[in-house]
Amino acid sequence: MALELHPLEQFKIEPLIPIHIGGLDVSYTNAALFMTVAVLLITALLVLGTRRGALVPSRWQSVAEMSYEFVADMVETNAGHGAEPYFPFVFTLFMFVLFANFLGLIPYSYTVTSQIIVTFALAAAVFIGVTIIGLVKHGAHFSRLFVPEGVPIILLLLLVPIELLSYCIRPFTLSIRLFANMLAGHTMLAIFGGFAASVGLLAIFPVALDVAIFALEVLVAALQAYVFAILTCLYLRDALHLH
Amino acid sequence: MSEDRPPDAFRRLSAELDKARARDGVEPFAGGGDSGGQQQAMGIGFRIGIEFVVAIVVATGLGWAIDRVLGTRPFGIIILFFLGVAAGMLSVYRAITGQGAAVGFRRPPGK
Repeated sequence: MALELHPLEQFKIEPLIPIHIGGLDVSYTNAALFMTVAVLLITALLVLGTRRGALVPSRWQSVAEMSYEFVADMVETNAGHGAEPYFPFVFTLFMFVLFANFLGLIPYSYTVTSQIIVTFALAAAVFIGVTIIGLVKHGAHFSRLFVPEGVPIILLLLLVPIELLSYCIRPFTLSIRLFANMLAGHTMLAIFGGFAASVGLLAIFPVALDVAIFALEVLVAALQAYVFAILTCLYLRDALHLH
Repeated sequence: MSEDRPPDAFRRLSAELDKARARDGVEPFAGGGDSGGQQQAMGIGFRIGIEFVVAIVVATGLGWAIDRVLGTRPFGIIILFFLGVAAGMLSVYRAITGQGAAVGFRRPPGK
């Protein structure tokens, strides 16, 4: 019996509420739905969790406070002093990616972060924001970021383009890392799930493997959100503290 | 960081909490210190693989685009490919030597 496998079908975007403005398709899709769900869940967790403000926190308050402290600590140690004003942005970014990743692990849900346009939009916002912060804080001095100290002029001709390139590559690495991890993990889950459906009694092996991969995916979901946020902090540090 | 940091809100709060805990006979909070380092190491590990590949792909793509626009085929793609390799190696080197994703050379912290 040949069962057709469609491991990539889970990433298909389907319009739920078709909206067309001019020639633009701005339909409310399944991806948009899960972004909305992520935002609502985060808001609910933080607003309801901190409503009481008890000295001995309840479970919800504890979760809300832990996530706050986790990101606050991350911003402080990685972005350095003076980065406190940008904490809300990093926190929002971290929570959104984390919740989008975790929501994607629920069966029949949609993984928003497996779409490169979503991760690239986030990464581009970070990149443009950090560049503007750097330019505002340091003006033309910001270009010193690309000029290594104490290097002969001849070598500078080679090094400055390399530095410039490695700076401009940042939004790409940032977005591709998150997108590729989510895409690969979920494809793998679907492939082994498809195997299980087609091999009858032997299905126990692919299912066991799927369970193991799922555990790994839970780790990856949290880790990638963490990596995304921590790299944002490191980029911020570059812009805030020129050397 | 070379400059002296003024005591900031987080540290002040932490000190106050420790004081309050000592007064009430509660153990000072000691968790979180070590796991931070481990998490950081893991994050770096997951990061550097993609760093190298993307640097080359993006640089080569940029070279191709420059060639298309300026009609300098094939020099743009050749030069930018090698620059991309260099940039990729540089970012991997920086990632594993603990300089983060920093652009630009900097003195190692603590000097």
